[in-house]
Amino acid sequence: MTWVEDVSAARDAGAVFFDFLTAVDLEDEGFELVCRLWDPVEHTEHLLTTRCPRDDPRVPTLTGVFAGASWHERAVAELFGIGFEGHDTARLLLSEGFEGHPLRKDFVLTARETKRWPGAKEPGESDADLAVPRRRRARPLGARDWPVASAPAGPADVHLSGRKGGAGE
Amino acid sequence: MTYDVPESSRGIIALDENACTSCMLCARECPDWCIDIDSHKETVQEPGARPKVVHVLDRFAIDFGLCMWCGICIEVCPFDALFWAPTFDHAAADPAGMVHERFDLRQWLQDVPPGTP
Repeated sequence: MTWVEDVSAARDAGAVFFDFLTAVDLEDEGFELVCRLWDPVEHTEHLLTTRCPRDDPRVPTLTGVFAGASWHERAVAELFGIGFEGHDTARLLLSEGFEGHPLRKDFVLTARETKRWPGAKEPGESDADLAVPRRRRARPLGARDWPVASAPAGPADVHLSGRKGGAGE
Repeated sequence: MTYDVPESSRGIIALDENACTSCMLCARECPDWCIDIDSHKETVQEPGARPKVVHVLDRFAIDFGLCMWCGICIEVCPFDALFWAPTFDHAAADPAGMVHERFDLRQWLQDVPPGTP
């Protein structure tokens, strides 16, 4: 069954309440679309998923099944860069001229690049001690080997170059 | 400003400096990276004991402009140095004013309801 047929079938089977539609960035495995429906009589939830490849992220629109999916698809379109066939996904949340898709995992968070991780200091150390090279410095949990677009000057350089070495935890 | 809020409200995070050992656990666990700690080492010599290296806290600041009130720092603190206080009137006119240093964090300790674990 196709994505649209799947969701229609669930709706026809009683899951008539469209809760939300979102996506998950699975990186090399593409994107996973997640749609949650609710059956208000049986009190059961229906989680439906589908995948699309990263190099051609397109899925058919669900707006024909649930008109309310429109905003969700517009949000997913701009936050994940996924196209919805048959739906003109105009901007919904991001400002005019915003570049990139901020919920993709390869999107560099400016907040993470402009602020140095405060946990890099060992107990008994202050900012000045970060300039002293250490064989092994603590790295933020879950921090990724992000492409460092513009490393800020100053002590942050120490931290950023220290983080490049591994792929995180 | 006065306004009735429950004692257990998550208003602000208070710091007991005497309990803090500058272990950095809160700063490292904070998902928002909003806790900044500076400390240095000092050698303490007590009579009849071997010299002991202790960490002395120099700076403890929480940027409440970044904080999301998750309370992970309070949960993770092994020395019970961080507490929720119900104080809420700490708005600021600019983002820099949301950074509260140890002096403020210590002041709020007196607002922590008695018996808070």
